[in-house]
Amino acid sequence: MNEVRAVRALIRSGGRTPMSWSDRYVALFGLAMAVAVLAQPVASVVAAMAGQADPSRLGAGVALIALAYAGLLALARTLGPVALPAADAAWLLLSPLPRRTVLGRSAVILPAISSLAGVGLGLALLAVLGAPDQFTPRLVTAVLLGVSAAVGGMAAAVLAQASPQWDSWLQGALVVLVIVAALAAVLGSGPGRHLLVAVADAPVSLGAASAALCGTVTALLVRRAWAALGRVHARTVLAASTRAGRVAAATVALELGALTWIAEDGHWRGRTLRSRPWPAPLSGSLSGPMPRLPRPLSAPLALAWQDWRRLGRRPGRLAALLAATALPALAAQAAGGLSPVAMILVAGGALTAAVACTTGARRDEEDPSLARLFGVGARAALTARALLPMLLSAAWLTLALAGLTAMGALPAGPWWLFGPLSAPALAAGALRMARRGFVDHSMPVIDTPGGAIPVGPLVWAMTGVDIAALGCAPALLAPAVGPTALGALVAAQALSGVAVLTAFLLRARRAAADPARLGYVTPIDLG
Amino acid sequence: MVAESIIVVRDVRVELSGTPILRGVDLTVARGDIVAVVGVNGVGKSTLLRCLAGLQPPRSGEVSVLDRPPADDSDFWRDVLLVGDEPAWYPGLTVREHLELMHAVHRSSRLEVETALEVFGLAGRADMAPLTLSTGQRQRLSLAMALLRPSRLLLLDEPERGLDATFRKRLATMLTEYAAAGGAVVMATHDLDFARITRARRITLEAAA
Repeated sequence: MNEVRAVRALIRSGGRTPMSWSDRYVALFGLAMAVAVLAQPVASVVAAMAGQADPSRLGAGVALIALAYAGLLALARTLGPVALPAADAAWLLLSPLPRRTVLGRSAVILPAISSLAGVGLGLALLAVLGAPDQFTPRLVTAVLLGVSAAVGGMAAAVLAQASPQWDSWLQGALVVLVIVAALAAVLGSGPGRHLLVAVADAPVSLGAASAALCGTVTALLVRRAWAALGRVHARTVLAASTRAGRVAAATVALELGALTWIAEDGHWRGRTLRSRPWPAPLSGSLSGPMPRLPRPLSAPLALAWQDWRRLGRRPGRLAALLAATALPALAAQAAGGLSPVAMILVAGGALTAAVACTTGARRDEEDPSLARLFGVGARAALTARALLPMLLSAAWLTLALAGLTAMGALPAGPWWLFGPLSAPALAAGALRMARRGFVDHSMPVIDTPGGAIPVGPLVWAMTGVDIAALGCAPALLAPAVGPTALGALVAAQALSGVAVLTAFLLRARRAAADPARLGYVTPIDLG
Repeated sequence: MVAESIIVVRDVRVELSGTPILRGVDLTVARGDIVAVVGVNGVGKSTLLRCLAGLQPPRSGEVSVLDRPPADDSDFWRDVLLVGDEPAWYPGLTVREHLELMHAVHRSSRLEVETALEVFGLAGRADMAPLTLSTGQRQRLSLAMALLRPSRLLLLDEPERGLDATFRKRLATMLTEYAAAGGAVVMATHDLDFARITRARRITLEAAA
């Protein structure tokens, strides 16, 4: 341990100055202010959890908690979870220093992060199950259960990083959690409701016993994870550190768009795929009975086929999108009606489905050299690239609206029609989002009574959402107006969707010639 | 008989942020020509290529490519190819599929996909994502995509970057064949041997500032 400390001290001796008393004062003052600001709202939220839970919302609530826990484990697995700062990864990991002591510091941070997440999970559990009696013991039990589950899950993720067998078990646990969420959502409103009500009404002693059992398992997992730290392969930690470093750099620089490229590159790196020919109607080289499209039509479609093929190679993403169509209905059931959260999930999910298949347009915008190499006109390429986002967002929105109608969150009526009719506007928004480039940090920061607003990130965040919202305005208004004017709103949606997409495509041009506008590209090479 | 001019550059001056990069540059390239633009780092070789590709408007002077000012539109890029110094690829496609895509977009191609994979030494990597390739293999993929499709003018920015000595010779042969078939090549390069093997006409740029 002393060797590692000595090396770390040496590395950092040329870096930042040691923490002064004023630094410590600022840190403590900030912490005290955070506690002072958050104590009252948190206390009132916790106090509101006392009372009997609504049985009709139990299933949806449990499903959302299971999904949140699965998301936490999946995130931990994706990010490492054991990762090192760039300097440590470069200089300490590949040195003869003991692996566990090198990784020890980051391994200590993980329980702290997972404990915080566990407190959130515990509070969410209490909010769903309610506290009909003995509020404080139930609160403590729920928080202990949440913290144990989160810390145990994090320990399992560390074990998965060190051992392929644990990794397969962790993946199995993720699948089980998703199945539990689906069962809770489906059965929670029917035959399973009694079981969930029984869990909610269980005596505190049973909850305490569960927390104790969970805590014991967690302790065992943490012990094994600590022992496994010495066996974690350098390559997995290096990969995780590189990933975490890029994510941190992208986050600090507020280049959130770069995060998706990090994930995309991470997915394809090292993969061997099975090449397949382009579909016959799009390819001029194939002979056969299939009809061939004329070149002005086939060239952009052939180019756009890249997005179709990429999506087909990510069945997990398609399955996740399909599963996510149930989220608005779950949220509506948990809230007892069409809540703002359910509305946000519907709008956000439909736009996400469209955005999920616009990688080609993003690549062409950020590096137009490939588009120039193919020699396809920008407008023609963009028109062809709009087909897949339209199809996917139409399917997603149709399913989500059908789910909401089936759950009774929407009154009877052909609400599903908004799915295909909103798709053109959603595709336009997604493509505009794909072509927005990077955040313009040179834009001013506006001081408002509510705090400073940086215009650059705000404009970046709203680019794409703006025209999607404009084009979907009739659909967004429909729940507020009600079923009386549904026919008129459907007609208006048909017009606005097509109008927004047409206007967007007519204004489309190839990315500007100057690569220096693209943030991550190095300044122009003068040659 | 005078060969048809593909590129005519007259007294071109380019400034970037007020700093002169190119000054008084003249260049004429005819069908069948291979021109190697050489010079020290920062002298403006890539800037000249960007000028010829219509990506960098000159401050003064005349640039004509295929009898018209270069323009960043699809008609221009159907005849002209620019292979930059940073290879690019689409995520989710294999090496072979990038070549198939080029073939599908242009319908007629100078090489069959299988031939291109063999010639560019990518047959063993055909089912891999370009991200997995080495720097030199990615450069080979970029060049394969460029030489697969029909074109009239090749603009290459340091095409030798990352390539081994054996493949540089093979590339030089391919470029001479391209020029012999009626195309024109303008390349910025630091490899004088490579320029010599292609029998390129050398243009040495001098610092403008």
